[in-house]
Amino acid sequence: MPAPVKCDDPVAAPEMATTPSAASTPGPWQALYEQHSRYVYYLALRTVGDPTLAEDITHDVFLKAYRHLDQFRGQAGLRTWLYRITINHCQNTQRAWQKRSIISTGDPQALDAVAANTDSPLRVLEIKELGERIQKTLEALPDEYRLLLLLVADENLSYQEVASLTEQSSDAVRGKLHRARRAFTLEFQKNS
Amino acid sequence: MDSDPPKQRFRHRQAEEQATEQQQTTGQQAGLAFESVEELLRYDNLQTVPPPAIAERLKISMEREPKPKRSWWHRLFGK
Repeated sequence: MPAPVKCDDPVAAPEMATTPSAASTPGPWQALYEQHSRYVYYLALRTVGDPTLAEDITHDVFLKAYRHLDQFRGQAGLRTWLYRITINHCQNTQRAWQKRSIISTGDPQALDAVAANTDSPLRVLEIKELGERIQKTLEALPDEYRLLLLLVADENLSYQEVASLTEQSSDAVRGKLHRARRAFTLEFQKNS
Repeated sequence: MDSDPPKQRFRHRQAEEQATEQQQTTGQQAGLAFESVEELLRYDNLQTVPPPAIAERLKISMEREPKPKRSWWHRLFGK
């Protein structure tokens, strides 16, 4: 069973060090939005699998961030803070949205038992439908694996930050990530 | 020594064009290869652009928000 990512206060963030340089940037809020929106939207889209919902979530995440900037302490980066809000929002949306049934094997062990050739590169012939294929693959994975892969794919996040976002140790992240990659590769090959 | 350099240049160019064409066809057939899942997801992220409507909606929503005592960047950076 995937460990749920929970946080009582969706905008609570750890202590911060200030970075005053961004204050002098022209249109700083726009700059901030442009810098992070692609990542927030992508995480939302690939988590909930619906572009309209992902759009709503992205809007709400930035609005929440705007409302609760006082709570941003900056020990973690701004991206991490936005991701925390996004993850919570996605989970609330998924809980509330009963109509959509997420297809998940829900059994990481079953996936682990199947050998997938993870050493060879992932080959893609049809670029046009790549997004759809990735979505289908991610939806077949346990929630925890999906989230880990999406977070680790962001090069701005350290393993420590991914661990903090998923409320586990860095070692646990590394271990699960190995299985998550294997599960993804197996599903991706199935969907080719 | 070639007695007909323009003809030679033409042949050379023709060969180059054929090679490029062949390369393009091969590229289409081979598609893309990603060394890791993360690399694939990063590529997918780059192809996924947030709809511009989000920024517009956000702007309207932020204008409706009650004005904070301090501007947002002072709240964020000016502690």
